[in-house]
Amino acid sequence: MRRRRFLKGFAATGAAAVAGPLIITERTIAQTRTIYVNTWGGSWTAAEEAAFFKPFTDQTGIRVKTVAPVSYAKLKAQVQSGSYEWDITAITQADLLRAEREGLVEPVDWTVVKKDKLFPNAVYANGLAYCALGTNLAYRKDKYPQGGPKSWADFWDVKKFPGNRSMLNNAVRTVQFALVADGVPVDKVFPLDIDRAFRKLDQIKPHIKVWWTQGNQSQQLVRDGEVDMIVMWNARASELQQQGLPVELVWPGATITTTMWGVAKGAPNRKLAWEFLQFAVQPKPQADFANKLYYGPTNPEAFKYISPEVSRQLPTYPENAKVAIKSDTVAEADQTAKIQERFTQWLAS
Amino acid sequence: MARELSAVAAPPAGAVRGASRNATAWILLAPSCLALVLLFVVPIVYVLVLSVTDPRLSLAHYQRIFTVPVYTRVIVNTFVTSLIVTMLCLVIGYPIAYVMARRGGWMSTVLLTIVAMSFWTGFLVRTYAWLVILGSKGPVAAAYGALGLGPAPQLLFNTFSSTLGMTHILLPYMVLALYATMRKIDPSHLKAAASLGARPAATFREVFLPLSLPGVVNGSLLVFVSCLGFFVTPVLLGTPRDMMISQLINQQIEELLAFGFASAVAVVLLVATCAVLAIYNYYAGLDRLWG
Repeated sequence: MRRRRFLKGFAATGAAAVAGPLIITERTIAQTRTIYVNTWGGSWTAAEEAAFFKPFTDQTGIRVKTVAPVSYAKLKAQVQSGSYEWDITAITQADLLRAEREGLVEPVDWTVVKKDKLFPNAVYANGLAYCALGTNLAYRKDKYPQGGPKSWADFWDVKKFPGNRSMLNNAVRTVQFALVADGVPVDKVFPLDIDRAFRKLDQIKPHIKVWWTQGNQSQQLVRDGEVDMIVMWNARASELQQQGLPVELVWPGATITTTMWGVAKGAPNRKLAWEFLQFAVQPKPQADFANKLYYGPTNPEAFKYISPEVSRQLPTYPENAKVAIKSDTVAEADQTAKIQERFTQWLAS
Repeated sequence: MARELSAVAAPPAGAVRGASRNATAWILLAPSCLALVLLFVVPIVYVLVLSVTDPRLSLAHYQRIFTVPVYTRVIVNTFVTSLIVTMLCLVIGYPIAYVMARRGGWMSTVLLTIVAMSFWTGFLVRTYAWLVILGSKGPVAAAYGALGLGPAPQLLFNTFSSTLGMTHILLPYMVLALYATMRKIDPSHLKAAASLGARPAATFREVFLPLSLPGVVNGSLLVFVSCLGFFVTPVLLGTPRDMMISQLINQQIEELLAFGFASAVAVVLLVATCAVLAIYNYYAGLDRLWG
């Protein structure tokens, strides 16, 4: 059996070598029935598999394959080079706006997507709304029996709240947290005062033990007790709670990012891609996703399928959204490149 | 007559055969040459071109690398780190290779197996292992507690853990390079030295060590050059301050979409690596690298 599989693989490789570069061959064979999605991997992709990919394949026979992690750079590279690794990408709203300005995404194909089956504000910058993601302060309750940090000011207060800290290696989020820690009200964070933010960041830098980059890594740090307080995506923290860890999520001053679906400009399977997206933004699949991974659905109808207990833990829950930073997608897209450049240098110096 | 003719005809026939043999050699070489050009030469040329043309034709990227302190520091740090890791590998690897080559028998087999297992274990796995070992709930911290030394110092996410991880991952290259050379040292040389009255230390110093030097150079080169391009281990075990060149390249592309600048940094790394190899080639000859 193993030998047979080996021979099969060998023959396939041989065929590909004769027919040309492997990627093209694989795509050409599968082109009619497969779409490729750029996603974040880990528990995110697992939830997508159950909520979107499998039901869609069952319904249409179109297979969905994933590539992780999400990469804006790759989106740009594949549009520029014309050789595509994936058709659809999950992407933050601000990045989608940047991509649309750079001409990297397809316009909505209204011959496939039915307007009357969409909800208000479903379309933005040529993409469809996917879900809302919270980036929060989280801490280990067992480390702070007298009460843990309740705000970014507390996170910055290393005397009152001693302990190991970790932050997400993401320029735009970090800058917003610094501004709130410095006393900027959550509805006045945009446009971002970058100089002020970096002055505040200088104070906390020596106390950050790890700048994490992967969702799994953030969970590992909390689970192993390497850090006591951390910047974390809300569903990742909820997963830890479900696993029985004493983790508390703080909503005041959290950022709520809308994640979008976009189709790469000129992607070979764009028709099928829009067919998939039409399916993915419907109430039931969105609810299935949110029930698996606690990111809020963008389709209001989805809440019909979500219990009140789960609802309360989502970024879309009014009590949570009210105290979070009011985002400004346009301002964020305008300032992102500049902030990232400076943040990169700041981190390394 | 016919014989004479054939005798006269013979040399050209031989030449033709030689030419066709030559052609056969070229045909056989063609696929690998093609693969090398397509997969190696073309991308490198592309990176070179990108570094001076994206977004416009200029040498500004190179100027930036050597004038912005952060970037210069990353490059210097990469070389210093690679040098330290190479030294550590040599200091740790030499005795291991020595015992493997000189002792023989089961001990050599056991050591060789350990080194080979380490060589074949994915470097990501080995990097994660250090996260566990050095973690605040890991065995090192537990040993500190058990010995009553109080809380362990922070072992993870600093220059120490990053250097340790890279040394561990590259050590097998050093050991195997040293072992290959040491195995070839004729034991009769050592016996001759001893029979002429040299003490073991002198035998080692005067005979074994000089004969093992090619292995030292080969191993150091392999480790140094591999270390220059290290990526994952310093990301997971180190701090942003310990950034290596490849992290900088990744960051420039992934976060800043600065393909041109990233290409320029890649070219600097490539040139530096080639310079190291050229120096080696001048003194030792690249063809001897693999023994």
